[in-house]
Amino acid sequence: MSSASKNTILEFEGADFFYDGEKPFIQDMTFAVESSEFIGLLGANGSGKSTILKLASGILKVSEGCINLWGIPIQSYKNKDRAKLLSYLPQILDMNVPFTVRELVNMGLYPYEILPKLTVDEAIEMVGLTDKTESLITKLSGGERRRVYIAMTLLQGAGLLFLDEPLANLDIKYQIELLRLLKELREHRGITVVMALHDINIALQFEKIILIKGGKILSIGKSDAVLTEDLIKKAFDVELEIKRHESGEAYIKY
Amino acid sequence: MNMRLKLLVIIAAAIGVFTLALFIGPKVINPFSLNEMEKEILISIRLPRIIVSVLMGMALGASGAVLQGMLRNPLADPYILGISSGAALAAVVGIITGVTFLGIITIPLLAFTGALITGIFVGALGWKRGGFWSERLLLAGVGLGFLFSAMLMLIMSISDDQGLRRATLWIFGDLSIADWSVIPYGFMFIAIGFVISISRAKALNALILGDEISHSLGFSPRKERFILFVSVGLMTAASVSLGGMIGFVGLLIPHIGRFFVGSDSRVLIPVSALGGGMLLCAADLIGKSILSPMELPAGIITAVIGAPYFLYLLRRKDVLSI
Repeated sequence: MSSASKNTILEFEGADFFYDGEKPFIQDMTFAVESSEFIGLLGANGSGKSTILKLASGILKVSEGCINLWGIPIQSYKNKDRAKLLSYLPQILDMNVPFTVRELVNMGLYPYEILPKLTVDEAIEMVGLTDKTESLITKLSGGERRRVYIAMTLLQGAGLLFLDEPLANLDIKYQIELLRLLKELREHRGITVVMALHDINIALQFEKIILIKGGKILSIGKSDAVLTEDLIKKAFDVELEIKRHESGEAYIKY
Repeated sequence: MNMRLKLLVIIAAAIGVFTLALFIGPKVINPFSLNEMEKEILISIRLPRIIVSVLMGMALGASGAVLQGMLRNPLADPYILGISSGAALAAVVGIITGVTFLGIITIPLLAFTGALITGIFVGALGWKRGGFWSERLLLAGVGLGFLFSAMLMLIMSISDDQGLRRATLWIFGDLSIADWSVIPYGFMFIAIGFVISISRAKALNALILGDEISHSLGFSPRKERFILFVSVGLMTAASVSLGGMIGFVGLLIPHIGRFFVGSDSRVLIPVSALGGGMLLCAADLIGKSILSPMELPAGIITAVIGAPYFLYLLRRKDVLSI
């Protein structure tokens, strides 16, 4: 049954994924992504988060079921048309690429024949790297490099952004900077973000969480409903306490 | 210096080198007072040789830039895919057995055929799950290259002195066989390969960021890698068939190009082509002039000029990635 509403950008309908002759890696996945949502895809290592994002962005094809982008099966889009609607950044970004910030960000224009409204300089300004425009990527810090790739996807103009563990291996300072930037972009440009995560404390910052275990959805919904001690124990196989500050914000006590 | 100025300087330098090569040589020719014999030397000997060296250098430079990007490997050069060894094996067999069924273009044609067959072999071995895999392509190329080199050595070790000398010259790049008759074929294949690679330059830039990002940017990485492989195969095969194996140009020139104009393939591929043409033309000029009337193979000169400059650049590590 379709869970689509008119705000639905992307929906998984009973999607399975497996390699030939192997047991399903993703099983019976059904959920919808609505416009301007900020979704955390949470699960332990190997739970299938990356595979879900690759299916959602059309890099992998579902074995059973279907995935629709704006109501149309994602595999029926032409590459260039799909690239104008969604973009995906893998967990491991090659940081040794030989380009300058400007050259890399400019690649966001590749799907277009007619230049979109945003310019390269504006995209670089949005991620706060104007003074590094002509620097080589290899000369930047880890957090700055992530932001360069984000600027490229902004220029790409896709309204739907899939990020695979973008905060992994970043110092806390850069983690916060990147989360702030993404939230700002959602407010000002209405982009929808789906981000794979494994850190529960960061997941607490999200409004909506999809909790994954063994390639299946364990729970989906508002973060305070999903991030319960019970469900987290199931997903991560660990005992912990979730406390609340007086302000209502939750945190983990180990 | 802005990009447009840099490009103008590179184009001017290329024209300078080509002109110099035409009038300087074992004998300096004054372009303003030509006699009949000098005209004949220019048109029948020097011009075709310059065109062949420039075509070969352009093909190798551009192929190197494409391959280093598509395989994401700064060590890649057009010969790493084994294409040149296949060409050399076919050509040397032809030289040593003395076949001449198609006249002067017999050997180039054999070399081209050997290169294409090897290219198809390497492509088939590098193909898995509906696409090329960089590591598989590289390993298949290196493996086949070794096999063909061994067969080449075997044939050369049992052949007579006369054939051996010609074969050796050919392996190190022998431009003295350059002749108008082979130029149209060489030009055609190199031009086709070059146009294909330039038209896929954006896809190549995206491939350098990885398959997943190039997919996200709207390219099909497998399809693009296949198209680029075909373009490199055509250019390398045509280049080897024109004048044998010239080492180092395909490895060096793209790195030197990146140092001057950066890594955007839309600029780097044409600049590498020009740079390769210049280097080989200059190397051939030096090779035939310094010990005249004896000629040194151009491939040796490119390595002797190129290697020290390459090592100098290596000290500036940040420019030597892909």
